[in-house]
Amino acid sequence: MREITLSQAVNEAIAEEMRRDPTVFLMGEDVAEAGTPFKVLSGLVEEFGTERVIDTPISEPGFVGLAVGAAMTGARPVVDLMFGDFLYLVMDQLCNQAAKQHYMSGGKLTVPMVLRTNLGATRRSAAQHSQSLQALVAHIPGLKIAMPSSAYEAKGLMKTAIRDNNPVVIFEDKLMYQDKAPVPEEEYLIPFGEAHIKREGSDITLIATSSMVQVAGKAAEMLAAEGIEAEVIDPRTIVPLDEKTLLDSVRKTSRAIVIDEGHQSYGVTAEIASRLNEKAFYHLDAPVLRMGAMDVPVPFSPALEDLTVPTPESVVENARRLCAGELIHAA
Amino acid sequence: MPHDVTMPQLGMAQDAGRIVAWLKAPGEAVAKGDALFEVETDKATMEVEAQTGGYLTGISANEGDDVPVGAVIARISETAEDEAGTPAAASAPEPEPEPEPEAGAALPEGKAVTMPQLGMAQDSGLLVGWLKTPGEAADDLLFEVETDKSTMEVPAGLDGYLAATLAEAGEEVPVGQAVAVISAEKPEAPLSRSAKNAGARPAQGAVPEPAAASAPKTKDPAPEKARAPQAAPPGGRILASPKARRLALEQGLDLGRLAEAGHPQPFHVADLEALRALPDPAAAPATSASASSRRLTATVASDGLPGFVAWAAEAHGLKDADAILAGFAGASLNPGGAATVAIERPGARRAFTVPPGRALSAVAETGDAPALVLRDLRGTALSGVEMGAEEAPVLTLTHAGGGLTITLECAASGLDAAGAIRLLTDFAGRMEQPLRHLL
Repeated sequence: MREITLSQAVNEAIAEEMRRDPTVFLMGEDVAEAGTPFKVLSGLVEEFGTERVIDTPISEPGFVGLAVGAAMTGARPVVDLMFGDFLYLVMDQLCNQAAKQHYMSGGKLTVPMVLRTNLGATRRSAAQHSQSLQALVAHIPGLKIAMPSSAYEAKGLMKTAIRDNNPVVIFEDKLMYQDKAPVPEEEYLIPFGEAHIKREGSDITLIATSSMVQVAGKAAEMLAAEGIEAEVIDPRTIVPLDEKTLLDSVRKTSRAIVIDEGHQSYGVTAEIASRLNEKAFYHLDAPVLRMGAMDVPVPFSPALEDLTVPTPESVVENARRLCAGELIHAA
Repeated sequence: MPHDVTMPQLGMAQDAGRIVAWLKAPGEAVAKGDALFEVETDKATMEVEAQTGGYLTGISANEGDDVPVGAVIARISETAEDEAGTPAAASAPEPEPEPEPEAGAALPEGKAVTMPQLGMAQDSGLLVGWLKTPGEAADDLLFEVETDKSTMEVPAGLDGYLAATLAEAGEEVPVGQAVAVISAEKPEAPLSRSAKNAGARPAQGAVPEPAAASAPKTKDPAPEKARAPQAAPPGGRILASPKARRLALEQGLDLGRLAEAGHPQPFHVADLEALRALPDPAAAPATSASASSRRLTATVASDGLPGFVAWAAEAHGLKDADAILAGFAGASLNPGGAATVAIERPGARRAFTVPPGRALSAVAETGDAPALVLRDLRGTALSGVEMGAEEAPVLTLTHAGGGLTITLECAASGLDAAGAIRLLTDFAGRMEQPLRHLL
């Protein structure tokens, strides 16, 4: 199978959907002429014109509000939010308007919009361009949250997101845009709420999102060398969450580590770990561990920044301790 | 007439408010409109104004109290000293025990003006004040009402005279309830009364019983105690993973045995293998010991020995108290024959031969192995023992208040049940009343 970058996969997904459905249009800062700072959307304006690939002013609340209105009245906007950190600017449009219109109109209105944005530290972009804010929006009922972990997921999830009648936020890891993965030429969709078991194992379950799936995968390889078989699972969408696959795995392995690049406190890892505790408690042979980013603003200093995120080595160390039956946080 | 100060309804779904602070002291002069107290609801903290002037008296709700809406919490009196008729502590308003004289009087004829519904979810309104006095022509705005959202002036809606007011300023009146009567003719005897006299108000019914407000604080802690963890062994909590615990339970394995065996905690599923490898509990010594040993306890109200020892030393020259004790024990063990009894104290052990008969003077020290051990722990802080069977039956003396606890422990094969009971009964009798030995 051919291999393409995550960037190309996203570009293909949007282009295919725009060809298929004339109501799909693209909007955001620098999406047309520049093709985004990461060159993800290059070439689309040449094919679809400035009517459907729209450069906006620097006005996040404005153009996200515009997209909500367009979605409510029949279009399918794909809005590009240049950095995930800018989510703070669009909270009202996203959480108060997009997420609630269907409910508050008694089902008469739908908001089929996609907010494409990113996450991820270690790009030396400092505290205001390095955050992973998926927990912020995953908290809001009415929004779906997709987190592709490779080019394959990025394409399949994007196409599903565009066809979904609900507002969907897609977080791409900005460090993965040039990562290649096998992606079929033929069309495919990845349904929401279906986790993917990346690697089977019997001793411990590593549940990881986005680029943390790569971290967990490397950790699993290192653990295998020590005789510990880790199962790696990518939920792919955290809302909706495929609880069954996660619980089935934990019931099998009795141990789990949940890894996500958002800040650890009150985060995605906490939510998943809590569900495992609630629903698989009597199958746990060790506490479920969370591994998120350190609860600090992301440092600009490369040496410090690298310390704030989970690494394969830190995952291996935790997994080793869990499997050895070490006393972890026991009073 | 004193004016009741009640807990206002400040929000749509509010049924109680918390007094954050009183802004006036008891007895302090209050002018209408003065901030009287601060109340906190689920939404906000607000200052509540006095609806009339006077002196603040009869405060019955303290700062921090949760008070049902409508409850009388103080009054505004004409004098600072008016403490009479202090309202019941933060209780929901009840119909006045003694209706005012005019309450029973027939209402003047006319058309009723009701509390309007000014908001979608409003079920009552606070009558802020009357803009007309009874008897006056009701040609304009009649009263002011405050809802959860706003304060509005309400017109009479028809021409005539205000013949009766059926609610006082500061009262919460349900939507639809009559608050005034407008008569076509100038009324001869206009009256005003409180809404309380108009019968039970729905707002009151919705208010929780006063007891409910304090219920959480006095909640009986007993149910908590009743839920003592089942599996907790006497030695403390065993650290084990949920899965290890579940499997142990399902397979009838006792994690306590693993703990007793000194296996490192916390226990995980893998440790259950070690538990399975432990000897079968049915064959464990603990179980067989309990089946083949006896432990009996007697309590005597007083220790007669010291007095007897003193008397024996003085009257008969028997100066060895241990020999007397051995004599008692030996005679209790073997009433007809001889017995060897060892007397043990912390750090000391002496054995005595007790000859047949009761003569304490004939008790002599010996080196023979004892048939009975008497362990005297009266000088220690120990209050009870459970040592298990030893080679010979053991009688242990421990203090129990002014008296003694005597414990007999022996192997079942050492003494039969009847013999053990007789030994302990006889010996206890002798310790309490040593003269029995001589009978």
